Amino acid sequence: MGNEVNAKQILSAAEEIVSDVADFGDAVNAEVRYHTSGRRKNAYVYIEVTASQWRELALWLKKSKKVDYCSMITGIHWPENADATWQVVAHLLRTGVTNPAVVNKRVHETKVDIEGISGNEVPLEFEISMTIPETREPSVPSVADIWVGADWNEKETWDLVGIDFDGHVGMRRVLLPHDSPTGYHPLQKQHKLRYHDFNEMYDDAQGFGRKPEDSGRVK
Amino acid sequence: MAEMWISMGPQHPMTHGLWTLKVKIDGETVVDTEPDLGYIHRGVEKICEARDFTQITPYADRLCYASANTWSHAYIYAAEDLLEVEVPERAEYIRMVAVELQRIASHLMWLGAYCPDVGNLTGMVWCLREREMMMDLLQELGGSRMHYNFPRIGGVKRDLPIGFALRCRAKLKLFLDRIQEYEAILDESTIFLVRTQGVGYAKAEEMINHGVSGPNVRAAGHNYDVRWAHPYSIYDELDWEPSVERPSIKGSDCYDRYRVRVEEMRQSALMVLDGLDKMPGGADTHYQSGDPAILGKAPARAAEGQTGFHHFEDSRGESMFYLAGGGDERGKHPYRVSIRSPMFITIPYASKCMIGYKIADIPAIMGSFDPCIGETDR
Repeated sequence: MGNEVNAKQILSAAEEIVSDVADFGDAVNAEVRYHTSGRRKNAYVYIEVTASQWRELALWLKKSKKVDYCSMITGIHWPENADATWQVVAHLLRTGVTNPAVVNKRVHETKVDIEGISGNEVPLEFEISMTIPETREPSVPSVADIWVGADWNEKETWDLVGIDFDGHVGMRRVLLPHDSPTGYHPLQKQHKLRYHDFNEMYDDAQGFGRKPEDSGRVK
Repeated sequence: MAEMWISMGPQHPMTHGLWTLKVKIDGETVVDTEPDLGYIHRGVEKICEARDFTQITPYADRLCYASANTWSHAYIYAAEDLLEVEVPERAEYIRMVAVELQRIASHLMWLGAYCPDVGNLTGMVWCLREREMMMDLLQELGGSRMHYNFPRIGGVKRDLPIGFALRCRAKLKLFLDRIQEYEAILDESTIFLVRTQGVGYAKAEEMINHGVSGPNVRAAGHNYDVRWAHPYSIYDELDWEPSVERPSIKGSDCYDRYRVRVEEMRQSALMVLDGLDKMPGGADTHYQSGDPAILGKAPARAAEGQTGFHHFEDSRGESMFYLAGGGDERGKHPYRVSIRSPMFITIPYASKCMIGYKIADIPAIMGSFDPCIGETDR
């Protein structure tokens, strides 16, 4: 084929989004960033948003910018950072997928003219980040009704990280057992891995108390 | 008749792994479903927080036993974004060979498991026979049979072995012939057609909204593929075309999803053959391990605030790793590893997709989406 979306198409699509996001004012900050991808740098849109604006932004991305695919929603716990103890990161994609056209009751598969696409049709990557200050019950608005694909991502984020999603219907444990204790979310940082505090190879019971020769030295 | 809930799984031939599908039935008709996952949740994301960046690759391998190379490469690309490493061109070609061979092996495993699901046992033994050729090739590359730990941050573990190109070309040419045999036995097998055609309709836009991607979406008539839409690696230099199927007006059925994977195997084989011809330095050259031509230099630490992610075309859809640097205070470990598993999102959709069909259609519909529980539960 030798065909793929080229860097110029991606960059101009990303710049268009960033300039349009400015309408939201100070609550939303967007910039074009690059991520290393093997031998090339791909542009993507990075957006910082407050939790209260997240739903509005999501609706705008879905309706005006045709962002149709929610890849991942995940959470990070930063216990030492009181202003932003909880971070929610969403990765979205614009795929441009449409149902194939039906002409005279015959279905025709869609083959995108890759060199010719522009504007809202260009596939694009989005990274959206929002932070929540120190609280015992962190939560952000749910977008599961905008992208159904966000549904199980949000369940997983609550299950493992403990960040709740307002408006999410049917929140439940998905990866942990259903009878896990209330408030137990293993990816929070107070739950230490056995290996976090000591040298795993030597200090545990199976290591018979052996110590490496350079024990204690900063490696 | 009264409705009732029954559990299919965790031990059931339909599940292809360890999970439960709770089905609400009215007579023979499926009224509602609810998947229950997490039976083999190992906490890979937490474990990785105490591993340095090179130690995570084997964990990524073990996310899916049928498709180890695609997962370790998905991790490696994200780690290279985090650590900002550039990869030598020859290494990208070798990676492409490893990933596409793995994609063929994974689809063969899928077809091999799907044929007995719908009553064709011959298909299984034929597919596993051909998969063995791919496993041999991958074993030559990576050194072991299933979990290769093949890519390195900045390149690959070792170059193509001497004579690999010759054997690879011969096996792939044989394989391209044998694909026609699969098509012959399956497309003319009445039981296969009756059980796959007209069941499990799914539409492209609906699937994308539900987070389903990869071959399942291409089966519904749109050629969306991460390899050209969010380009990475050297796929633009190769001669290939995303496999895309022409569905019916109601959407793609199980048969379309079978067709698209068979075509994708063919495209992957052509990609590898083309890549071996175009490889810089030549496919018969063998560089020592660690040579700058196949392994770039990579830092071992990532500071807090650095993040890396990469969308990757897995054999089951779009997979992704998201890494945040700065763990272990000195940045030797990632602070957070988050894994996007395509099947974790697809299984709930496939479960809803079978509402309205009969109980006997459940294995055919579920199997056609290619579930893999290792990556789902992580």
